[in-house]
Amino acid sequence: MKNIKTYILVVLVLVAGACKKSFLDTEDVTTATEQNFYKTPEDAFKALVGCYDGMQRVWTDGIALPVAAEVMADNTFGGTGNSDGFGYQMMDEFDKTRSPSDQNMFNANWILYFKAIYRCNMLLSKLDQVVWTDQGALRTTYESETRFIRGSLYFDMVRLWGNIPLLTAPTSENVPQADPDAVYKQIAEDLKFAADNLPSTKYTSQAPVTYGRVTKWAAEALLGRVFLYYTGYYGKADLSATVTKAQALGYVEDVINNGGFGLVEKFANLWPAASVNDYVGEDNKETVFAIKYTYTSDYNGNADGNHWLVMFGIREQSVPPYGNGWGGGTVNAKLWNAYTATDSRRGASVISIADEGIDFKMKNNQREYTGYYSKKYTPTADADGNSVAVNNGGVNFQIGQFQDYVSIRYADVLLMAAELGSSSAQTYFDNVRKRAYGTNFSALPVTQDNIMKERRLEFALEGIRYWDLLRQGVNTAASTIAETTTLQNGGVNTAVTIAAAKIIEAKGLQQIPYTQITLSNGVLKQNAGW
Amino acid sequence: MKKGILLIKRSLIVCMSIAGLMLSTFVRAQTQKVEGTIASQKTAAAMAGASVTVKGTNRSVISDEAGHFSIDAAPGDVLVITSIGYVVQELKVSSSRVLDIRLEETYSTLEDVVVIGYGVQKKKLVTGANLQVKGDDIQKQSTTNALQALQGQAPGVQITTTSGQPGSGLNVIIRGKGTIGNSGPLYVVDGVNTGDISYLNPSDIESIDVLKDAASAAIYGSQAANGVILITTRTGRAGQRPQVTYDGYYGIQNPPKKAQLLDAKEYAIIMNEAAVNSGKSPYFSNNDIDNLPVNTNWLDEMFVSNAPTQNHVIGVRGGGGSSVYSTSVGYTGQAGIVGGSSLSNYQRYSFRINSEHNLYHNIIKLGEHLAFTYEKTNGIGVGGIYNNTLRGAFGTSPFVPTYDSAGHFFDNSNSTWNNGEANPYAVMYYNNQNRNNNQRVFGDVYLVVEPIKGLRFRTSLGLNNNWNEGRSFSPIYRLSIYSFNDNTRASQSMGRGRSIQFDNLLSYSFDLNDDHNFEVMAGSSSINSKGAGIYGSNRDLVFADLQHAWLSNATNTDGTNIDLSGSPYEDALASYFGRLQYNFRETYLFNATMRTDGSSKFASGHRWGYFPSVSAGWVATKETFLQNVQWLDFFKLRASWGRVGNQNVAGYQYLTPISFSGTNYTFGNQEGILTPGAFPSRLGNPDVTWETSEQTNIGFDATIRKKLTISFDYYIKNTKDWLLVAPVLATAGADAPVINGGDVRNTGVELGLSYRSNIGKFNYAVSVNGAYNKNRIGNIPTLDNIIHGNTNSLYNNSLEFYRAENGFPVGYFWGLKTDGLFQTEQDVAGFTKNGVKVQPNAAPGDVRYVDLNADGTINDEDRTLIGNPNPDFTFGFSLSADYQGFDFSLLASGVAGNQLVQSWRNNSDPKATYSASILDRWHGPGSSNRIPRVTEDNRNWTQFSDLYIHDGDFLRISNVTLGYDFSKLAKNKYLSKLRVYAAVLNLYTFTKYDGMDPEIGYGEGFSSGVDLGYYPRPRTLMVGANFRF
Repeated sequence: MKNIKTYILVVLVLVAGACKKSFLDTEDVTTATEQNFYKTPEDAFKALVGCYDGMQRVWTDGIALPVAAEVMADNTFGGTGNSDGFGYQMMDEFDKTRSPSDQNMFNANWILYFKAIYRCNMLLSKLDQVVWTDQGALRTTYESETRFIRGSLYFDMVRLWGNIPLLTAPTSENVPQADPDAVYKQIAEDLKFAADNLPSTKYTSQAPVTYGRVTKWAAEALLGRVFLYYTGYYGKADLSATVTKAQALGYVEDVINNGGFGLVEKFANLWPAASVNDYVGEDNKETVFAIKYTYTSDYNGNADGNHWLVMFGIREQSVPPYGNGWGGGTVNAKLWNAYTATDSRRGASVISIADEGIDFKMKNNQREYTGYYSKKYTPTADADGNSVAVNNGGVNFQIGQFQDYVSIRYADVLLMAAELGSSSAQTYFDNVRKRAYGTNFSALPVTQDNIMKERRLEFALEGIRYWDLLRQGVNTAASTIAETTTLQNGGVNTAVTIAAAKIIEAKGLQQIPYTQITLSNGVLKQNAGW
Repeated sequence: MKKGILLIKRSLIVCMSIAGLMLSTFVRAQTQKVEGTIASQKTAAAMAGASVTVKGTNRSVISDEAGHFSIDAAPGDVLVITSIGYVVQELKVSSSRVLDIRLEETYSTLEDVVVIGYGVQKKKLVTGANLQVKGDDIQKQSTTNALQALQGQAPGVQITTTSGQPGSGLNVIIRGKGTIGNSGPLYVVDGVNTGDISYLNPSDIESIDVLKDAASAAIYGSQAANGVILITTRTGRAGQRPQVTYDGYYGIQNPPKKAQLLDAKEYAIIMNEAAVNSGKSPYFSNNDIDNLPVNTNWLDEMFVSNAPTQNHVIGVRGGGGSSVYSTSVGYTGQAGIVGGSSLSNYQRYSFRINSEHNLYHNIIKLGEHLAFTYEKTNGIGVGGIYNNTLRGAFGTSPFVPTYDSAGHFFDNSNSTWNNGEANPYAVMYYNNQNRNNNQRVFGDVYLVVEPIKGLRFRTSLGLNNNWNEGRSFSPIYRLSIYSFNDNTRASQSMGRGRSIQFDNLLSYSFDLNDDHNFEVMAGSSSINSKGAGIYGSNRDLVFADLQHAWLSNATNTDGTNIDLSGSPYEDALASYFGRLQYNFRETYLFNATMRTDGSSKFASGHRWGYFPSVSAGWVATKETFLQNVQWLDFFKLRASWGRVGNQNVAGYQYLTPISFSGTNYTFGNQEGILTPGAFPSRLGNPDVTWETSEQTNIGFDATIRKKLTISFDYYIKNTKDWLLVAPVLATAGADAPVINGGDVRNTGVELGLSYRSNIGKFNYAVSVNGAYNKNRIGNIPTLDNIIHGNTNSLYNNSLEFYRAENGFPVGYFWGLKTDGLFQTEQDVAGFTKNGVKVQPNAAPGDVRYVDLNADGTINDEDRTLIGNPNPDFTFGFSLSADYQGFDFSLLASGVAGNQLVQSWRNNSDPKATYSASILDRWHGPGSSNRIPRVTEDNRNWTQFSDLYIHDGDFLRISNVTLGYDFSKLAKNKYLSKLRVYAAVLNLYTFTKYDGMDPEIGYGEGFSSGVDLGYYPRPRTLMVGANFRF
């Protein structure tokens, strides 16, 4: 009997072994979790880089804001391939009947923006649980950088869509759209925090390996831009009771006086395709803030490249030094004609097929062909027509592009300071123009009107013009943009009409993605005109 | 605390069972030798291998070659004589010591034993809906994969090949799609669980049993929501002399039908017309069209002729003394019809040994099943639009030559017509340089202890171990401005996985007064799976070819061009289960099971799931009032209910992971330098738990006039709490977690009829089966009640075209309805709403869409169900006959009521070629009302509409075989079979579908039936042989 008992015991242990707790407790050893991360300053830094990565990803899919802004403005038409959908035309003309099924044009961007916001909100909510010991200054720096990123993301979103949910902490709730004033208040507070807390390290003293990090100067300059846009578009005196005009001026003047920036001597040298061997390179002294790209994007989850540059490229034809692209945002002849022949910015900003003697063969595939393409932002090719991005190791020319998006140039800071009423306004204004005209320079008085005209020429195709128009009021923007002309679709003359009434009806905003509205079960409301 | 009680309860069951086992005593009465011979009643031939058992004991012997046996039995004992295919006979031992026993052949398979979960049962006592297909019927189909042979033989089981490429997987859907996730069944091979049986050589299979209803499958609990397929491999039989078998075939394969594309002249004409319709002048003059220099038929280039397929298996099996055994070695080779064996190929080497040893007086038996398989594959892309090699041939114009004057692949970069299109044959050649192999050891060791008749303890340790290895090579090439590669690259991957399964079963069968028959079973099972994989890729090889494509030959040191990864996985499942089977005089049948499963995939507190079932049956023909009904031999009514589960998701969904991969930013002024970061990539769902499926089944089995058998089932299957990734609001900020939610109902009927008879020596059998299934989603747990399908799936930048939505079938095709074509300007002008043109930009020849919501515009609100990928009916039939050594069989299968999406062309490309159906386009009023005019902007194809939808109904004659057995002529006593045969697989397909193969097993996401350039199943002509000696 004793043997039997032993046998029973052995079998019981064997059988019951199957249910002892550890049997079902497995561990994923290659994944950290929210529960065991955000503990050390190193974790916090990784999470901060995650926020930068999130910021860089917002245009890796969908339609990039710099592209959209140029298409919506009077600088370019929609363009793209002659067999493509009419989404870009719909966006250009603010006319949903142009492509009624395209109800999700910006859905990918909407998702990516909120993913980036989530990364920022998550990090901000975890900063207190990180054990900083004696590195408390790092905490302030990381918080400043994160809040800058969050503020600039919200600024993009609120300009494009007007009415967006405002989240300052992670949540899975169905959040309705916020009053734009509340969004701007948050943006102002975020940027102000960054401007007030980041160290005053001059550009000239900054370690090159840290280029691309958010600086005090970037925050101050962006505050100037937000101030001008908000007060202009919404017709307010101050930025949500957070920043007055005088304060805004103070911020941009601080960049000028203490930032250590300067204008690059030749305008063309700012742009790779316009200067080739004379290109001054990225992170030059004129770069106040840039979204940085490199050629390591792949289709396995790495998204480090400039995925939207290809949209601006010449349609399906490499013309060294210009690489092939998709022919989106064909440049409006009006822009080319706005420059005088003596303005060095004309040839540096725009590729003119006729003036450069290019034998363009792909008219058949190009929609809304104008004879002009963007030169500031365009893929590049080597002498044999091979993609420079691919030569460098990019997976392909579509996602391998590596040209940074310089979102704030020092020239912009100078012109903002002039516009905000700096006592040195005329000097700032002249400095920008002197570079453009060189020996052909002749002074113009620094009036609001002249500043706006100059901004159009200086920042053409940089994704700035549209917002400069809108901040003069929707009506002014609409009447400036409205146009009836004839362009070539696949080589055939086609009438194009951009009606002011449509832009006014939409208040210059784009549509909220239909999928997001249905997902929210109607909590999100569509913008007027869409 | 609750768990503690549970644990005690479980332990108690086990403890009591074991104690019962131990306390039982061994009883033996005074015995004597009883001898006899066994012969067939019909032929009077001696029967070897029949089993003789003394009822109520485990004393058993097997008859020898002469049908002779000898056993110890006491007078009054009852001998039970069984042999497969014969009616069981019981004989009381009397004084007459030499027995002359004649066994009667069964007219049906009712006496057969079928495999059920953790055991076997007489078919006539089965109360659930399951079906058995014999190994011989599978082998007869001469398929590479055993599952493919089930096609058309198993009502309610829909089997589609994911592609016609050798070694491609099969989609097996039992009783309709129950989830938008993985809907494949659980496979259990000789008691060991696995997710895939492609490693099995069909010749090794004794039988396949499919458990369709939840009551049958519930004993497998959480893994059984999509049904269970039980595979039994061949074993030897006691008393069988060694038998050597050879089974083999050799065949050649060809495409059954090639799609018709435009030739150069037609292409030029269509391009001219598209240009003119788009307001341009034509590209080609009549003279140009008559003198086109190149006219390549790309499909002819892609396909090869007479691709070989072969299978050879040598086996030996037998039994004697205290052991039985079965062993085999096999080789299978199948080349692909696209690209041939260097690009698309499958080879399998298999080795198997099954044996069982009687350790002690039939009381203790030890056995094992062990299979080793080595599979070598290489293949072309058969996936989506960016990974489908054959698709290239559908869109490339006939203007591109295959080779240049030097005999190299033609580089189209300088084409003046379209420098963006590349030679698809060369693309296939360059991009599919790969070799993969997989080795698997699969099997178990088991011990059975049966101290007294009916009380049985079985313990087994199962092993499923596999190793895989893959390599690929990318050469330098240039074929067009988009299709080029500037660096050589090698990729290498290796993985291993092992799963250990420890099962313990205790069962006891007994009867009370011979009337009440009971069998109770309790058991436990635990499975632990572990594995790891590693992958590396680098470029700039020392030697630029596949043979030398190993990482050590790559010279690049720039980290951004090196790709490395490696990670482990682990999951565990612990289970306890029990079953009660009862019948009263084999007339009233009852069955109940209970299983509880704990899974490591869920958080503590959500781990355990409970899966009960009950079923009952009534054999009406046992009742006295039916005893006199001569025509009705057997009638059984069955009803069952059960609940099963599904845990088929990746683990750790309850946690919020921090992702480090692909999270970088490039600080500093140097390109290519990345700073790694991290972010919370997915929301966690701590509450995630079992998906469950409940199913009610009612059916009957009948046998009429000993010739016709009928099996009918009706079922309602509700699958709920799907494990699914439901879209979340973008504001949630991270990828959606797996949640439990959503439900779908599948209802259907299944009918199987088979008729078997003879005219003299001409024996024949006909069987027909069919199943109807209706699939409806009840509730999708998102605010808009929709799960959206993928975009960019049909052609570059295409929009959403399928959905899962409340009230619709899973993965239904969502698009615009069309209402013919505008024939004239008046038609366009006349299509108005409130005086405004609904399609203001349309021209004659364009598609007129249906403005479903009558709001005057055509947009997403007008999209609706325009097709259902799930068939309403699946069916099959077979004919077989034999006469004096000749045998003939024909098998056909098909589906009806489903739709396919055909998207062969990249509709974002104006110059992509068309299929020949475009020749029926509109080109003037009245010329067509279906195929719209051609334009360069492809405007009529850029909206997903019913123009893309085709009916998917088909009936395929999948196998016709004619054989002759020469052993009848040879009259050699050791040669029991010498059969040679010729067969045609995939002989002909009746269908209206104009693609190469209507059986489109490819799907995007949770849709199916999407033809993006589907690799068709070949037509095979083969000869084969089966020898037994």
